[in-house]
Amino acid sequence: MKATCLNRTRLAFAPIVSLVFILATTAQLGSAQFDSMDTPAKPKSYVFYAAEQQTVPSARRAVLELRFQIVPGFHINSHTPKSKFLIPTALTLQPAPGVQTAPPQYPAGEPYSFPFDPGEKLDVYAGSFTVKLPVVATAGDHAIDGTLKYQACDNASCYPPKTLPVRIVFTAK
Amino acid sequence: MRRAILLLMMAAGLALVVWSGWKNWSQRRSAMQAQQQRRVDLMPGMSSADAGDSSAGQSQLRGKPAPAFTLLDLNGRKVSLSNFKGRPLVLNFWGTYCPPCKIEMPWLEEFSKKYAPDGLQIVGITYDSEVGRDTIARDAQQLGVTYPILLSTPKAEKDYLSGTEALPMSFYVDKTGKVIEVTAGLGSKDELESMVKETIAAGGQ
Repeated sequence: MKATCLNRTRLAFAPIVSLVFILATTAQLGSAQFDSMDTPAKPKSYVFYAAEQQTVPSARRAVLELRFQIVPGFHINSHTPKSKFLIPTALTLQPAPGVQTAPPQYPAGEPYSFPFDPGEKLDVYAGSFTVKLPVVATAGDHAIDGTLKYQACDNASCYPPKTLPVRIVFTAK
Repeated sequence: MRRAILLLMMAAGLALVVWSGWKNWSQRRSAMQAQQQRRVDLMPGMSSADAGDSSAGQSQLRGKPAPAFTLLDLNGRKVSLSNFKGRPLVLNFWGTYCPPCKIEMPWLEEFSKKYAPDGLQIVGITYDSEVGRDTIARDAQQLGVTYPILLSTPKAEKDYLSGTEALPMSFYVDKTGKVIEVTAGLGSKDELESMVKETIAAGGQ
């Protein structure tokens, strides 16, 4: 008898739980759809450099990792955009005493198409990306100054090319 | 006792349903407000008259005479706004680095021909003039654009864009020279044609 009552209770409770779950899920889905329709506010910078102190072995080839963060909702051309008319992301470095650098190594981009033209696939970075910089440095603390040139777009508009100052700090031991 | 527990659970369930509904409504309202704000910022022409942000330069132009300009075309000839007096006009700011601009430019070319009997004039104004006439001309040719392409100047950018960097940006000017619509960003071809038709129809015969 007790078991039957418990089952009844469970049976009576089940639709409520289901209803609550369905409504809560619907609420989340609804808000997710609206979020995806949002175009973010337009900042003046679309890429940020996450400067990290790095330590590498001295007097031999080592690789520094430069992490960049792109403002959510935006993307930038990769280093190898599909069209020669597009501005590639490129890091330019100034000479630094005690440091020899090799050309930066850029990650592969990801395909992107603008609405209303799904046929054209561009090659972009979105979210975050890491540029690898091979160096040979003498022992000690070092700083390499440079700039990252990029050109950003969102899903409907594009913005003029920008130059982001970058200061790479690391220690060679 | 069991009945009380059942009732309590049902009440808790009902409360959850109400909370869930309220949360959904609240999130949707916030999203709608954010969208409305974006329309003010990016599609000022579509915002209500009293919702316009007075700091948004492009929205200040709506309902006002299009600012006069004299710009160079790709052949080095001076072209002024007054050259198009009495004609419905679309001033389309674009950039060679801007893929969405290049999606809509062939549409504008198509409308330029389709509505030529109605006097429509499309004018492209290149935002990144510094890339040089050759690059701009090559892009225009590749896109099949035959309407005039002019080279922007800081003054034209100040008068029309007021610091807004988003491209493409279009200004729809009726026959009387009044800006009736301003749009930023790529919309659909149908939306664009609809605004072209509005521009042709506006300002009387």
